[in-house]
Amino acid sequence: MRIREHPILRFKERSKIAFTFDGRTLYGEAGDTIAGALHANGVKELSRSLHLHRPRGFYCAIGNCASCHMTVDGEANVRTCITPLKAGMVVKTQQGKGRVDGY
Amino acid sequence: MNPKEARIVIIGGGISGASIAYHLAEAGCTDVTLIEKGYLASGATGRCGAGVRQQWGTRLNCQMAKESVAFFERAEEILGYDGDVEFKQAGYLIVGTNEEEDARFAENVALQQALDIPAEHLTPKQAKRLIPHLNTEGVTSATFCPTDGHLNPFLMTDAFYHAASERGVRFKTYTKVTDVRVKDGRVAGVETTAGDYPADVIINAAGGHAQLVGQMAGVEIPVQSQNREILVTEPIEKIQDPMVISFSRNIYCQQTPHGSFVMGRGDNRPSGYTTESSWQFLEAMAQTAVTLLPPLKDLRVVRQWGGLYNLSPDRQPIIGGTEVEGFYIACGYSGHGFMLAPVTGRLMKEIVLGEKPSLPLEELSLERFDGEDTEAYEQSVV
Repeated sequence: MRIREHPILRFKERSKIAFTFDGRTLYGEAGDTIAGALHANGVKELSRSLHLHRPRGFYCAIGNCASCHMTVDGEANVRTCITPLKAGMVVKTQQGKGRVDGY
Repeated sequence: MNPKEARIVIIGGGISGASIAYHLAEAGCTDVTLIEKGYLASGATGRCGAGVRQQWGTRLNCQMAKESVAFFERAEEILGYDGDVEFKQAGYLIVGTNEEEDARFAENVALQQALDIPAEHLTPKQAKRLIPHLNTEGVTSATFCPTDGHLNPFLMTDAFYHAASERGVRFKTYTKVTDVRVKDGRVAGVETTAGDYPADVIINAAGGHAQLVGQMAGVEIPVQSQNREILVTEPIEKIQDPMVISFSRNIYCQQTPHGSFVMGRGDNRPSGYTTESSWQFLEAMAQTAVTLLPPLKDLRVVRQWGGLYNLSPDRQPIIGGTEVEGFYIACGYSGHGFMLAPVTGRLMKEIVLGEKPSLPLEELSLERFDGEDTEAYEQSVV
């Protein structure tokens, strides 16, 4: 979902950015955060809780909580709510607590 | 007077005080009160690196650590604890970076093996097999003991607390000892922020504040306290089983069962009672950790804190009586009081009850610092 029409604010058209999410190609817009782009594509489950494995979505949206941690370009625990989207990013739902560097 | 009926006051609610309380009550002491100025484990116990190793450089430290490990292995059963103290024996890898250290490692391992501690001297290649992400550049040799490990200091203190409480020990938390009363050369009681406690026996287990408590009784203990910093990272999936430490690189680093990494250094600091955090520590710690364990570069630091090392002149603990009758001390652990706590409790019980000591207590006595330099200096301290 994106707000295109607003009674007061005007939104300029922004360029499209391609990235992959769990192997699927999706498109965000310039200026999006990763989590913002995912949300706009209808992806609301960003991670799973560590113990009961329940779905976790967009929560604090300011980089304080761990709800949106995902593995991006191989780096674990990226706070996708505050990380700007870049073309070609490989975004993955994280399994468990995430891994470092091939270990 | 039957020593089991003595009014006993323990000052300090860290792991040492809690273990002493349990051991005394278990032996039949009927009047034991523990006084703690904050909450249990609020001092060095709850701030420590939580490691337990048997790879020491003096015979006595090796023996005490070995017996403590045997206790931790069965802690829940011995204490009747419902929970899990999270004792994980994944070993300690000690990394050396120069010839002098290699030679010391060889001596230490020989000593440890003679005491049936299953330590081994390893080549850098063998060390890398244990920890694939270890950067062996500059590493000359290592030692490894598979039965070393780590456990949860809060839960272990809690286990002692429950077992001691069930045996009648009274715990007074948020109560600060303000003075120790001495009459005719023997203890009479303690004054606290919550009233007076008459006592026949007072045990100073005040950790970083042991020297101050000693001074209240007129006993000068040759220890000093220094702030030692430590940090914890975000959790990741398990990559490292053994605790990794190095004396020459100045680091200890473990991955907890929760997945976070806990690491610290032993930078020499002015003595005092501050437990502040510094950016200098954060920078030096990060550099050291990432050099030795490169994948940790991607981890974020969640928080850092400080705690007090209570350093004795020879880096071995001081356990025993003093010139004031009825005033006993267990301090000067020099950064390893947590791991030795089971033995601390047992030895203090033997001393207070006048039992035959199970270890050579003269090597732990306060009197050993009278006169000449002591022989057995423990070098293996971070």
